This record gives sequence, C-alpha cells and structure tokens, in this order.
Amino acid sequence: MKRPSLSMAGLRDAVRSMPDDSLTAIREAALANLDEHGLPTVRDEDWKYTDLSPAIDISNRWFAAGATSTSTDSLAASIEALTSSIDANWLVIANGIIDTSHYEETAGVDIGRFSDNAAPFVLDRPLADLNAALLHDGLRIRIHAATDKPIGILVVDETCEAAVVTQVSIEIEIAPGCDAQIIEYHSSTGNNDHYSNSVVALQISKAATANYVRIQNRRIGHVQTGRISITMDTDSKLAMASFDLGGGLIRNDVDIDLSHPGADANFNGLYLAGDGQHIDNHTRVDHRVGPATSSQEYRGILNGRSRCVWNGKAIVHAGADGSDAKQANHNLLLSDKAEIDAKPELEIYADEVKCSHGTTIGQLDDAALFYLRSRGLDRQQATHILTRAFAADLVSRTPIPQALETITALVDARLAELIQDGMS
Amino acid sequence: MLEINNLKCRIGDTEILRGLSLTVNAGEVHAIMGPNGSGKSTLALVIAGHEDYVVTGGDVTYNGKNLLDLDPEERAREGIFLGFQYPVEIPGVSNASLLKAAVNAKRKHQGLGEVDAFEFLKLAREKMAALNMDPKFLNRGVNEGFSGGEKKRNEILQMAMLEPSLAILDETDSGLDIDALKVVAKGINALRAPDRAIVLVTHYQRLLDYVEPDFVHVLSEGRIVRSGDKTLALELEDKGYDWVREAASA
Repeated sequence: MKRPSLSMAGLRDAVRSMPDDSLTAIREAALANLDEHGLPTVRDEDWKYTDLSPAIDISNRWFAAGATSTSTDSLAASIEALTSSIDANWLVIANGIIDTSHYEETAGVDIGRFSDNAAPFVLDRPLADLNAALLHDGLRIRIHAATDKPIGILVVDETCEAAVVTQVSIEIEIAPGCDAQIIEYHSSTGNNDHYSNSVVALQISKAATANYVRIQNRRIGHVQTGRISITMDTDSKLAMASFDLGGGLIRNDVDIDLSHPGADANFNGLYLAGDGQHIDNHTRVDHRVGPATSSQEYRGILNGRSRCVWNGKAIVHAGADGSDAKQANHNLLLSDKAEIDAKPELEIYADEVKCSHGTTIGQLDDAALFYLRSRGLDRQQATHILTRAFAADLVSRTPIPQALETITALVDARLAELIQDGMS
Repeated sequence: MLEINNLKCRIGDTEILRGLSLTVNAGEVHAIMGPNGSGKSTLALVIAGHEDYVVTGGDVTYNGKNLLDLDPEERAREGIFLGFQYPVEIPGVSNASLLKAAVNAKRKHQGLGEVDAFEFLKLAREKMAALNMDPKFLNRGVNEGFSGGEKKRNEILQMAMLEPSLAILDETDSGLDIDALKVVAKGINALRAPDRAIVLVTHYQRLLDYVEPDFVHVLSEGRIVRSGDKTLALELEDKGYDWVREAASA
C-alpha cells in the first residue's frame, strides 16, 4: 500500500484561508519549513513503529473539504460534564479555539494568547511546524503563585459530517519557587475522523515545582500527536502522570531538558489499549549537567489486536557527572494478538552516573486467576481485579489529589470495556 | 452431598487419579491421608475445578448436580471452598476487596443483594479476632508478604466469611507451629454443622488431634486403599504408609 503524503497545496490553501493577524508571519515561516522538510516517516528512527498515514489522510481530506473549523455549540454539554468531573479552574480549547469563559480570574496566574505578543517561537520539528502553520491562536499561562485549585486545560474536539483537524499550542511558565498544579485533559466525540496535534512547552523556573497530569481519553479511532517539551531550572521539580485511555493512533513525545543542577524529574505513564488502538510513548531526557535525577515508569495493559510502543531515551552528556536516570516499563498482554515494542535507550558520555532500566512483558498470572475464580469471581471479574491492581500502582502516583477520583474511575471503566471486548 | 465415582484424571501425560471413589455426606468430617504424590492435592484441585487437570473417567456429583460441568466460580458459588496448600499472593488487591467480591458473588448467585459495607466489616473483624488476626490484614494485599501461618489463617478467614457447604482444606496444617495449629483447628471446628461437610487433606495425623474426623481414608497411587474411623490415622502414624501400601497390594 502506498503511504499518502501531506498535500502541500492543500496545506497552503488552508493556511492562507485563515484570517490575516499577528500570527500570519509565523504561519508562513512554518509552512516554508514544512515544505522543505516534510513530515516524518517510518524510515526515521524515531518513527519506526508509528506510521503517520492516518493523520496525513485525515489532513488531506480536511484540506480538500475547505479546512473549515467546526462550530462548538454542540460541545457545550461535553464541556460542562468534563469540567465538572475534576475540581479545577478550566481553560478550554474547543475544536482548536480558545475559550476562557469557564475560567475564573485568579491572583497568581496570568493568561495570555500568542497573538498578544507574537514572538516567533522555536520551530524545530515538523509536527510543531504543522501546528504553527494551522494554529488559530496559542495559550500562554504564567503561574507565579500557588492556586487553590489546579489549572485545568481541557482540549475537546468534535467531528460531524467530515474529517476534522485541530491544533493546540500551549506555553506554560512556572515562576521561581512557585508550586503549580496543571491538568491537561484531551477528549473528543463524533463519528467522523479526527486528528489533533498539540505542542506544549513547560518551563519550570528555579526551585519551582510542577505537578502535572495528562489525560487522553479521545474517542476510540481518533488520532492524536502531542509533544510536551519541558525545561527545568536549578533545584526545580517535576511530578507528572500521563494516562492514555482512548484514541486510535496516539503518539506522545515527552522531552525533558536538564541543563541546571539539582533538577528532579519524575514522570510516569499508563496506557490501556484495545482492538485497533496504537499508542506510542516516546520519552527523552537530556542530562546536560549534574547532579540531577530523572525517573520514569510506564505501564501498559493491552488487549485485542492492539499495538503499543514505549521508547525511553536518556542521554547523559559529557560532564554531567552526578546524573541519576531510572527507567522502567512494564506491560501486561491479555491477548496473543497484542504487541508491545519496548525500547530503553541509555546513552552515557559522563563518568560518575547512576543509570538503570528494566522492562517486563507478561501475561496475567494463571495461579492468581484460578485463586480468584475459586472464590466465586468469574473470569471477567478476576481479570478486572488483577488488571486494576496492575494499574493501581501508577494511578496512585497521580500528583494532583483533585484528579485522583476521576482518573481512578476512568481507568476502571476503560479496563472493564477492554476486558469485555476481549471476552466476546 | 458429594459423590465421587471411579474418578480418573491426568495432568499432561501423567495419570494421577486412577479410579477414586468417595462419598461425603452433610455433617461429616473426612480426612484424606496419604504419602507425597498419592494424589491428595490433585483430588482437592479437581473438585475445585482447576483446568490443568483433565478428567478422563468417572463422575462427580455434588448436591445432585454434575460437578464436572461447572466452572470453578460456579462451584464456589454453589458452596464449595478450597483452602489452598499454597495460597497465592496478589499484590495490589486488598484482602477486604477480595473478601467482599467473593461474598457478593455468592450472594448474587443466591438472589440476594450486595452485602452492607458496615455489616461486612463488622463480621470480618469478628472472624479475624477469633483467628487472632490483626484487623490491619484487611487492608493488605491478598497474602502479600504474609508468613506461612498467616496465609493459612487467611484461608480459614475466607472460609469463615463464605460459609461453604463443602470445605476442602489442602494441607492447611503444614507450616504451622502448635499455637497456630490450635487457632486454625478452632476455626475449622467452628464451621462444623449438620448441613456442612469438611474434607481435610493432610499428610500428618497432628491436625486430627484437634479436628476429630468421622472418617479417615488413605490414598495411594490415585486410589483410596483403606477407609476407617479416626483410629486408622493413629495406626498410620504408628506403622507408616508402607503398611497400607503393602496391605493394599496383598
């Protein structure tokens, strides 16, 4: 099968149909970059396991249909339900359009838009170029004092008669010494195809702490690519938990730059995949100076004909003595049609370092399954209990207490669905 | 209650039970004894429905139903309880949640609603006190990091909560010191009732000092080779298993 390539003519028309505003020059620059470099293909090492064809195909169809954005009127009920599920102060990006009507002005947090001050941002990756080229506007959040409620960013999309593409771009800065709580929640509805592409830049200043929760619960079949680039200053901390529950083709990139001593990055992820889902988590930590620590644990539960990728790269650059990098990835395969590609990558160019990685791929323990059945639980219940226990360890590491109950419920509901599908 | 007739089974290519027959009536306590490898644990696991064992002949009837047609969970809900020789550790699943799910599975089968959370905890704490178990064990992972004795007590706790009609206890006495043995025996005796039957699978006579059986059977090479009352256990202790084997082949 021939893989589709992105229609540059379609993209150009789409970019030029957008209103002429302060971001126009940036859109044109991004378009030129993309024209030169194109999107990554499976021939690129970083994209070996994930073929962007579905995203390209959806984009081309959307271009051909006039690249129009969808009304957000019918999303009101979804937005209401999602924002009330977690007690947070919500900024909404609905069908790619920023909506601050649900947000309550808070001392200590400044909210702005890219268009307020259209400083050119770094465009160094094709998907970031695609994002900048088609971006209506980006969200800028500066947190300089702790808030009672977490700051929530709800990204919600809907498709109706035709395929839709939306872009999301967010810059978050946490001021020195500040303790911030941020929730990024992606959701989508609608029977047609959808592709969402997001770019998040998180800057954690000196001695600041970011507690960050990412939930991806898109409609099964919808496509999402998302990158979060995190820079950490001296003595700053990151506690991040990601949950991938829905979607079709999902690719997440987490890049963490440790260029200052004393930084401590802890990030974990859970992915649940069933029939037809492809969830790829690529993480990269650059230890440029020491001492600094990074630790990550990703866990996956796969059923049906699903495929997941975990690629964890840690680079300890020359001179970054005192770096400590830990990686772990554990997978539970409930079906013999499920596939996981687990790839730890450690590149060490410094002398005094501590690095470790561990990867496991296994199935449910038959002895435990029989034990539970002998107590009256049917196979489905027993499987649910055992998979829930496997996931619970990661769920409990949610760094924002207000989100824990909803995440527990979402994980539980998705597990129940996955197991049910696998049994029928 | 339980009628086993000429039961034959194998695991892989190895034949383990070779025509075993046994009748257990309500109100009775039976002890199954025998040397290692005679098929005692296999018998317990086959009654509970372990799928690694393939029944190749004979039949098993439980309260008039063909037991071999039922899945393990159906057998449990019908009132069969297996106390495992090696209880499985399940990290991340609390003892309380397993007990509750098990009690509710049985109640649902009986057409009853879910157990009241308050009543459930009260009952669990009472049963635990009787077994000298710290209530903290309720919140720990099932058997996670438990000592051998704690695991066996935990099996008895599950049995006490589930109130089975037929309890099969596989080597429940192994690995217990004398104090723990007395506590476990007390738990078993508390369950003796006219409408209930208990099958004790054991290698040693020791447990039978505290739980007095009505019948003792000796298993050898997959068959019951001798049955008698509790004096048979004492005789065995005295003369060893070779005596039975010789008597059987004579």
